[in-house]
Amino acid sequence: MPKLLSAVYTILVINAIKLSAAFCGELCLINSMEKITVTGQIFQYLITGLTVGSIYAMVAVGFNIIYNVTEIINFAQGEFVMLGGLIMVFFYAVVKLPLIVAFPATVILVTLVGILLDRLAIRPIRHPSVLTLIIATIAASILIKGAAMLIWGKDPYDLPAFSGRDAITVFGAVIQPQYFWVIGFLIIVVIALSIFFDRTIIGKAMSACADNPDAASLVGINVQQMILLSFALSAAIGAVAGITITPISLMEYDRGAMLAVKGFGAAILGGLGSFPGAVVGGLIMGTIESLGAGLISSGYKDAFALIVLLVVLFFKPSGIMGSIEISRIKRF
Amino acid sequence: MLVIKGLNAAYDNIRVLKDVSIKVPKGKVVSIIGANGAGKSTLLKAISGLMQIKKGSILYKEKDIVGMTANRIVGLGISQVPEGRQIFAHLSVLDNIHLGAYLYFKRNNRLEITERVHRIYEIFPILETRSKQIAGTLSGGEQQMLAIARALMARPELLLLDEPSMGIAPLVVREIFNVIEMLNESGTTVLLVEQNARAALKVADYSYVLESGEIVMEGLAGELLDNPKVKEVYLGG
Repeated sequence: MPKLLSAVYTILVINAIKLSAAFCGELCLINSMEKITVTGQIFQYLITGLTVGSIYAMVAVGFNIIYNVTEIINFAQGEFVMLGGLIMVFFYAVVKLPLIVAFPATVILVTLVGILLDRLAIRPIRHPSVLTLIIATIAASILIKGAAMLIWGKDPYDLPAFSGRDAITVFGAVIQPQYFWVIGFLIIVVIALSIFFDRTIIGKAMSACADNPDAASLVGINVQQMILLSFALSAAIGAVAGITITPISLMEYDRGAMLAVKGFGAAILGGLGSFPGAVVGGLIMGTIESLGAGLISSGYKDAFALIVLLVVLFFKPSGIMGSIEISRIKRF
Repeated sequence: MLVIKGLNAAYDNIRVLKDVSIKVPKGKVVSIIGANGAGKSTLLKAISGLMQIKKGSILYKEKDIVGMTANRIVGLGISQVPEGRQIFAHLSVLDNIHLGAYLYFKRNNRLEITERVHRIYEIFPILETRSKQIAGTLSGGEQQMLAIARALMARPELLLLDEPSMGIAPLVVREIFNVIEMLNESGTTVLLVEQNARAALKVADYSYVLESGEIVMEGLAGELLDNPKVKEVYLGG
């Protein structure tokens, strides 16, 4: 894998360690689940981890869509998730739309933001190199975060769970119904996308654009349109992730960056560009994070998953499901 | 079929094509020979819409196509096999072939597409045995065949070939030139750009010699083959 990527990891890890050091000052709350058995507790961590992991996986899927079409890493992917959550709060709490109407309305609005991102930040760049475009997405993410802070302020917002908050207890673990929504949406998104990219000509045309934009236009593919479509799609998926996670973990303006880091980690862990890889990567990241925080120390929550990421890359640079054959051909 | 008049093109301020005028009559093979950097590829890119031109006209079936984007020009029936193959390296061979038919890839065209793929496999049997393989893992010659196959899927009436012999074993070059002849016999007009002047002149009806962006000589391919100056410069004496 190119040197550039490893430089990115280093930055990510340094940041993660700094963050966790800051958290270390806080006293870890004594676990209120002392009455529960050890297996029950581990089961609980697993369930929570899989739920959080599903969100990472959806972010990773978003990364992969844009990467597969443009070879750009869109660092504004986390902002789509944040916007999904906060715009949903707006539609639900301010406009007072019912959840079932607010959901598609939010997805459409965030998709529009994705389209604007392509039109305003990506397309105007002349003679773009992949790296310039990546930097443009970082700038866009800072801008979106700032705008969100002006609109919603710094407070976290809550949403009602889709089907109530009556938790189910299984093997001593408390499972909120919302967990099933999160995992369910992940499954739907991944199946739909796999069919789209593997079976439809538009899906294949999108991959062809990443491979060789000139050659793609020589067979009649409108490359600009495909790039636009990739941004729209991944914004929509980001919105779904944000909407479904908000009832569990709340949402505030600056959540995007950390989600992007974790989602990016998940995408790399699974193999950049691979959808099954994104799911596996996301679920592993989420589970490790949850188990590490629960069993070792919650202060290092953000570090665990990133350490595992580095270890995996050390042994298999193309990621768990990535193909070395393909990663050699790619430009980035 | 294709008439180019007074074509000028430049990269930034470096003029690459200077008042180039050529004609490609329907049903013929026209070749453009010239050394590295003579502007041959630029000419093809200008025709296929990958390159903006400064001045001049490109008439295809009496219609000016200057300023049209590449993806629209394909739809008119001009299909380019780009220099250095430029296949979709991380997609499978069959996906590459299918993408050639992108513009008419619809359910009700399925029959036509299967037929065309079948015909491609008849022309290049090796592609059938490799159909599931990732295209980037093919050898240079196989990639060239795949690039031609992909261009043929676009239902071209005019096929633009950019250096099909580049970096390929002589035996495969012969095979590819045989295919060009065969395609022409079945009605495809061909504009061929080549450094390998001997092969290009043998397969062509009419030829142009391009030097530093200017047409310096033209004539029936057979005559150019015997021309002492062409012999000296391009055929190695």
